[in-house]
Formats: sequence, C-alpha cells, structure tokens
Amino acid sequence: MQDVMTICNYCGCGCGVYLRVDQGRVVGSYPSKNHPISQGNLCSKGWHLHEFIHSANRLTEPLMRKYGKLCPVSWDEALDYTTKSLLRTKKAHGSDSIGVLASAKCSNEENYLLQKLTRAGLQTNNIDHCARL
Amino acid sequence: MTNSIGELKGAEVLLVTGSNTTETHPQIARNILRGVDRGAKLIVIDPRKTDLAREAHIHLALRPGTDIALINGMMRIIIDEDLADDLFISMRTEKFTALRDYLHRLDLDEIATITGIDLQTIRDAACIYARSCKSVICYCLGVTQHTCGTNNVQAVANLAMLTGNVEKEHGGVDPLRGQNNVQGACDMAALPAVLPGYQSLANLEVRERFKAAWETDIPQTPGKSLTEMTHAGREGEIRAMFIMGENPVLSDPHLGRVEDTLQHLDFLAVSDIFLTETARLAHVVFPAASFAEKGGTITNSERRVQLCHRAIKPIGNCRPDSEIIMELGRRLGCPGMDFDSDAEIMDEISLLTPIYGGIHYDRLEGSWGLQWPCWDRDHPGTSFLHKYYFARGKGQFTITEHQEPREGVEEKYPFTLVTGRGSYHHYHTATMTRNSRRLVREYPEALLEINQDDCEKLGLQQGEMVELVSRRGRVRVKAQITDRVQPGTVFTSFHFWEVPINRLTIDALDPKSKCPEFKVCSANLRKVDHD
Amino acid sequence: MIDLKELILPKDNLIPLLRKLKKEARLIAPVQNAYGDTLFSEISDLDSAHIDLDNQPQSSLKPFLLPQQEILARYQVDKAGYTFTPPEDEQETIYFGVRSCDLTAVLYMDLIFSKPVKDTNYYARRNQSLIITLGCNHPFANCFCEATASGPYLEYGYDLQFIDIGDCYFISAGRIKGADLLDQWSYFFREVQEEDRKARYQLLLEARGKFTRNVQVAHACRRLQKEPDPEAIWEALSRRCYDCGGCAYVCPTCTCFSLDDMVLDDTQGLRLRSWDACTSSGFTRMAGGHNPVDRRCHALKRRFLHKLKDDFARHGKVSCTGCGRCIDICFGGVDITTFIDLVTAVEAS
Repeated sequence: MQDVMTICNYCGCGCGVYLRVDQGRVVGSYPSKNHPISQGNLCSKGWHLHEFIHSANRLTEPLMRKYGKLCPVSWDEALDYTTKSLLRTKKAHGSDSIGVLASAKCSNEENYLLQKLTRAGLQTNNIDHCARL
Repeated sequence: MTNSIGELKGAEVLLVTGSNTTETHPQIARNILRGVDRGAKLIVIDPRKTDLAREAHIHLALRPGTDIALINGMMRIIIDEDLADDLFISMRTEKFTALRDYLHRLDLDEIATITGIDLQTIRDAACIYARSCKSVICYCLGVTQHTCGTNNVQAVANLAMLTGNVEKEHGGVDPLRGQNNVQGACDMAALPAVLPGYQSLANLEVRERFKAAWETDIPQTPGKSLTEMTHAGREGEIRAMFIMGENPVLSDPHLGRVEDTLQHLDFLAVSDIFLTETARLAHVVFPAASFAEKGGTITNSERRVQLCHRAIKPIGNCRPDSEIIMELGRRLGCPGMDFDSDAEIMDEISLLTPIYGGIHYDRLEGSWGLQWPCWDRDHPGTSFLHKYYFARGKGQFTITEHQEPREGVEEKYPFTLVTGRGSYHHYHTATMTRNSRRLVREYPEALLEINQDDCEKLGLQQGEMVELVSRRGRVRVKAQITDRVQPGTVFTSFHFWEVPINRLTIDALDPKSKCPEFKVCSANLRKVDHD
Repeated sequence: MIDLKELILPKDNLIPLLRKLKKEARLIAPVQNAYGDTLFSEISDLDSAHIDLDNQPQSSLKPFLLPQQEILARYQVDKAGYTFTPPEDEQETIYFGVRSCDLTAVLYMDLIFSKPVKDTNYYARRNQSLIITLGCNHPFANCFCEATASGPYLEYGYDLQFIDIGDCYFISAGRIKGADLLDQWSYFFREVQEEDRKARYQLLLEARGKFTRNVQVAHACRRLQKEPDPEAIWEALSRRCYDCGGCAYVCPTCTCFSLDDMVLDDTQGLRLRSWDACTSSGFTRMAGGHNPVDRRCHALKRRFLHKLKDDFARHGKVSCTGCGRCIDICFGGVDITTFIDLVTAVEAS
C-alpha cells in the first residue's frame, strides 16, 4: 500500500489528500494533518474521493457517432475526425464559428494548453468555462 | 479571496453573504466556526436558513435579489452612527462624497420593506460589522448569480472600504471559489476577454510577448462567453464546439435552449471521464484520465497553486486532457504543442504570466504550494492581497442602486425559485458524486425545499411529488417540508439529471460578468396527484 | 500481567534488528514523508525512510487491518454459474512503533471481529501480524489515554513493547510470538539491570504527569450508566455535525462498515467492504424510507453512547482509547471530549 499526496478534486478549498493505492487500485482517501487547509479532516465528498475513480461507468475508449450511435473507435480515428471537422468549420464559417469550453475541474496546465490551442491554433478568443455556474 | 482561509478564524466579525458555506466550502466553514467559538460575531445574509445561518448571531433573511438595498441600508446606518473609517477613506479611496450623498437620500424604512428585514436587525448587523477593525466578508454565488451580480459585489466592496476592513490580515473581502480549479482556469485565461494572468488582450505589448512565445499572431477581438456560446440557438454563429470536462446540458440556465444549440452544431467533441448528458450529444467523445491518473497543478480559492500527483496509470484507454489537447494541436498545425511534462508547461506559464512568475515545479514539490502573486523565484507568495495598495491604486467607491430581479412574482408564477448546490454529499451535476456509492446512499434523489405554510395551502405532504413550472419549462420533484426556506420561496439543487431544474431557470445575465440569474426566477407549483 | 521475557536493546542496534526483521516480513512503521506528515507506511528502504518515533502517526493500524475499501471476493459468471475467488493470502507483517492507544484499539477490533463468528478477512490479516508497540514518554497535545486506561504504557496485548529509556529500549515480550523473536535475534540484546527497571518506572511516572488534557472519562461513564440520556446535549451537539464522517474514519475503534457489489461488466464483479459511519443518516435508513434515527438531534448519539456506555456495559471498558485523533478535526468542533465535558458539567451545576 502506498500513499500518494494529491489535492481534492471537489471544491475550491483545496484539501491535501493522500490517495491510498493498493495493486493499481485507489482504495482510500486520507486527509493530511499538516496541510494548511485539510488539517486532518475532509468533508463527506472528500472522504469518498476514491470511489468514482474505478466506477464501471467510466469512459475507457474514444467514441464516435456512427449512424446516430456512439461507437468505440481508435484514438487516431477520433482525433483525425475531430481535426478534420474543426478545420472544415473554420474554413467554411471562419475562426469565430468555433467555441471552446475549458474546465474548472482540469489542471492549470490543461487550461493553459486549451486556451493556447484556441487562440494560437484555432485563432479565436471563443473560450470560456463554468466560472459563474 | 484576498485573505487566506486560515486567517478567518482570527477575525472578530465574519459576515457571510450568499454562501451555504458548511455544505459548499466545508473547510472555510470550519475556520468560520472556530472563529465563532473563539468569540467572533457571525452575521449571515441569506434568504435560506442554512446550517451556518443557524449558528449566526444575526441572520438577515432577505428577500432574494435585494442584496444591494440591504448593504446600502447598512452603509447609511454606519455613516449615521459615525462608524465609517474616515482616515482610511481619505487616504486610500476616492469618490466617497458621491456615494455618501446618495446614501443620505435613501429612506431606511423603504429598505426594510424592500428587503423584508426589520430595521433594527439591519442596524444591529451594520453596527457589529463596522465596530470591529477585523471584519471579514465572505461571499459566494448567492451574491454573483444575479442580473445585478457585479453591482452586488461592488456594494460589498463599498461596505468593506467604508469601514476600512480591507488591505489587512483578518480583514477583507473574500469571494469563495466553487470548483477545485475555477481560480486556476480563470488565471490561465480560459476566459474570452483576457490572456493568462488577466493581461489585457487590447495591450499591444502583451500581445507581442505572446506572439513571440507562441510563434503566431493571436486574435484581438474578445470572444464569446459560455452562455453566449451555449444559448445561441440553432441559428447561432457557433457551428462547432470542443468541450473539456464540463456538463452544460445540466449546469447552464434555460436548458431547453442549451440542448437546442448543442444538438444543431455541425460538430461537437467532448472530453470527459463519464458519459455526461453533454457527451451524449457529441459526435466525438474522448475518454479523459481522472485527477488520480495525472499530475498538474490546481489553484484553490485562496490563490494557492498546489501540485497534484499521479496515483495510478490511466484506466482503460484513457488519456490525460493535456495529451488530448496536444495531439489535437499538432494535428491542427498549432505551434508549441510538444511539451514533455506538466513541469515544462508550467515553465511557459510562469514566463508569460507575471502573477505566476516564480511558480516552478521544483518549488511546489514537497511543499504546500505557493499563493499568487508570486513574481519571481525568490518571492515567497502572497497570503493576503492588497497589502498597502489596491491593484488599481486607490479603491473606488461606486454608487449601486437596488434593481429588481429580471422576473418578479406574479399571479401565474407566485413562487420565487432559488437554485444552487444543495447537499453535503453531491457536487454540481453529480457526475462524480453519483458514481460514489456512499454519497448516493446519503442523498439519493432531488428534493424541493418548501415552507410548511405553502404546503398547507397546497395540501402537500412530506415526500409528495410536485410539478414545478416556469416560463421556460417544467420538472417533477419530491417535496421536502422545511423551515430552511421562507414562505413563497422554494429551493432545489441542479445535481440530478432526473430533475433538470435548469430547464426552469432564466438565462438573463449580468451585463458585465455574464453571470446568469440562477438565484431568482418565478415559478409555480402544484401537487401531482398520480402519475 | 507478567511479561514472558524482558531484554534491553541498545538504540544503535535498532536499525540492524529491523533490517533482519524486514527480510522475513513486510515492515510497517510510522514514516515522516516529504510533507512532514507521519503515516504508517510500508518500509521499502530502511536507510532512506525517515522512521518518525517523535510524532503521533496520523492514522492508526485500522487502514491496514480493516482497509477503507477491501475486496472481499471477486465473482465471475458464465454458463456454469457463479465462481467466487477469495482474495490472495495475506503476507506476514510486522508493525513497529505502534502507540499504546492504537494497540488497545487492535485488541478491541479483535473482539468485535470474533463474534458471533470470526471475520475471515480480518483474521487473515490479524493472524499474520506481529505488533511492536512503543510506550509514550511524552503524551501528545490531544492525548488522554490515561483516562481511558489505554496508556501511556501497556501491561498486556502487545507482542513486544519498547520503552525508550535513554540510550536503549526496555523491551517486554507480552506474547509467544514476541518472545520467539527475542530468542531468534538474541545477540542484539542485553540483559535487564536493576537501573533499567528504575529508569522505566521513573519515566512512566513522569509521562503520567505530562498529560495536558483533563478528560473525565470514568466520571462521564458512571453518569451515562445511571442517568437518563442527556437529550439536550445530543441536540446541541448534533446541530453542529456536518456529516463528514471524519470522526469515525480517523477513530481506531470505529469499525462500522458496509458491503457493496460492484458490477465490472456482464461477466464479472467485486464484493467490496468499505468504512462507514453511524453518524450518517443513510446508515440507519430502512427500506421504504423510514429512519429510526433523526439525524438532526441524534447524529452523534450512537457513536458516543456505543463507546462510553454500551461497550462499558458489555466489556467493562470504554472503547475510546484516548488517542485524540478526532479532536480539532471536527468541522463543528463537537468531538467526544466536548461531549464528555458537557455530560460531566451538568452535575457540577
């Protein structure tokens, strides 16, 4: 069993949590005592932080709509189709016809990359996230 | 937040407005309650009798949407009682005279009528707040999710400046950020009108710096906000969307319109860890790695940039969002999409974002993070903001006037519907919490909070189904009789897809912040006799 | 109780001894990590791990003996029907540096999981464990084990008890397993001298005087046995309970759990056992929605009464071990010592 320090994925408090890993499975969440926010306790959501990670409902394969249904495809197929579709829209309706929503659930690095991709790659400032919701 | 979370327990007066803190920010509530146990006074402004309001010395249960009137009234009383901090006002602020003259013209009895709170209670709260020099205001979406949200925030800032309760430890104005990285997503400019670190798109010098680093020009015109994109309708300008880790089909106001917009896009790609209601509408769905399967930093409500560590490798064929974005970027021909690690991405962020200037992975590893602004490698980070100076120089008073919510109650829709997060056990659209067994068991279904008086009028019993209707839609939901809400007001959360309450909410926005008015719309309800 | 064997281990010999022990079993000890947090962790490298015997470990042995989530069985279904696979055999494990309160808690869990039938999974781990305790010469800020008769030193229950008497450890073997270990590695130890005994006795006296918290456990117990339930206190405390479950999860003797079946796909799944908390309303809700416990006024009642009244009546001993972990962490500030203070205060007024 191994304890991996990370930050809770729920609210903006930002508790320091140890994820307990046993044979590749996250089997527990435990608060850090010294962390300035968690100080030895988590809320109900935090104490059960590990439960959704291995949920059988997790998406595990890229999906693409074929004949109206979402079907598993390879990463290459999903990425190529996305690229093609975005470029086609950009060509037909201009850069500002593409909109991007980033996420308050993703990391700083991911949000930075996505706004960079939007601004530098897609050439639009149409990027936002759920800050106000 | 301008203060740190730990500072709250040292305050003498805590004024919490529009925040159900024990449920939505438990650790902040913990610090508030420690403060109360040490003798601090707690004032809660909230239409609902939340668990924190039950602990308050004064609970100002105002009529939803009358925050400005209430705060203006408090300020008038503070001036009348000669409790304003004149020295602070003259040294650190400007445009006070105009505000003072405006406040003098207010009729306090009228304010009591508008807010539905008796004047003596408002007076007590105002005096308690103003008499301490360690008064903190915490506010959350109950203040901002109104068509007058920006003005609500300005009113709160006026109140703090009037009494000099800013620019110091144990004193300030603290907006509580809802999601784990909503602060960071804003810092990183996942926003339509700014560049990372809130740098202006209009500033040529800034744009030149980004142009050099990104090896390409960047567009200058501000983009569309979230609701402008998701509510454009089937004829909207947006034709294709990429959505990462968000579920607007449940979280946005006036859902009928969101669905209509997304369903009629030429192309929609969604990256998420579960097949959300939004992902179900997509043409392409990317399986993203969860927080436990990747590294990266996130920034909490007190601006603390913290490092996350990978606990396990991605399950199935999942990939971290950063990899998905870079793969797409390379295919789209976007330059600078070849980072080897999150640390390398942070290096670029700190280079281009002055407030993150000194944040590097080697400094975060084995520490509890750094609070921005952190200008360079030697800077220790900033635990409270606006020490000795406001970001803009002097603090500016702005007159804010009471404005009724967009929708008033009327004969056909006699109830006020308030929405928000509503449980210790669920989070937002509950994609994660509803895949967590214990949390589901604790709070298995949506409930509509309704007052006993209203139930008697409607002949409603605990647990019976009601149909709730607004001008935009209808849902069926189970009634929970409670004194948490006042007569005439009902409350429910947006956690459950079975009760998509945002079909009912109004997509009227605050003109500046573009924040929707989730906190007030008019509705009607009736008992459902049989299904 | 008379110990089976007593010896002295010079401190210089501690790491060499642990190195030998680690060869034959998994070694778990309190380790301080890069963040300054001390947690019981498996030691992979004795030379780089910072074994921390100066701070209280944040978690007890509960996460090891009763994991937060464990797989009780895997099942597979095919044409022939269901096949159940129990988990793999447990490894021999040595726990070092366990505090007296936490060992007392293990003894309590032994009792709980032995009735009415032995819990297979718990005992699979327990039977493979050897526990070496460390008596406390310096109680920590929130400790009150003397009031619960579970420290600072122990008189029974351990395999080995270490007492720090300066430049060496005074070691007592309480069980055969511990005595065997001393025999096996006898060349690390020396015989006990009279001054070692004196030093140990002196340190115990001093340790007893160092508690900073005065928690009237016995007094509260007596009142709870004799008098009607203090309803007003339940209500006042429960209003401040924000349903996190943290007190139960950090508690070394809270053993509530629940079972879940997790379907992985059409052909296989897992039966899981996870920690639970009696403070949650879902714990007592019945089919049809009726709940015999009203959380608003009785959220904390079962937890406190079980520890201080019911277990005292059943076993003659409270099942709070005075470790102090639940103190300071409660969001509403209503931990077991708040309750004890209130119960005992009523009489004083």
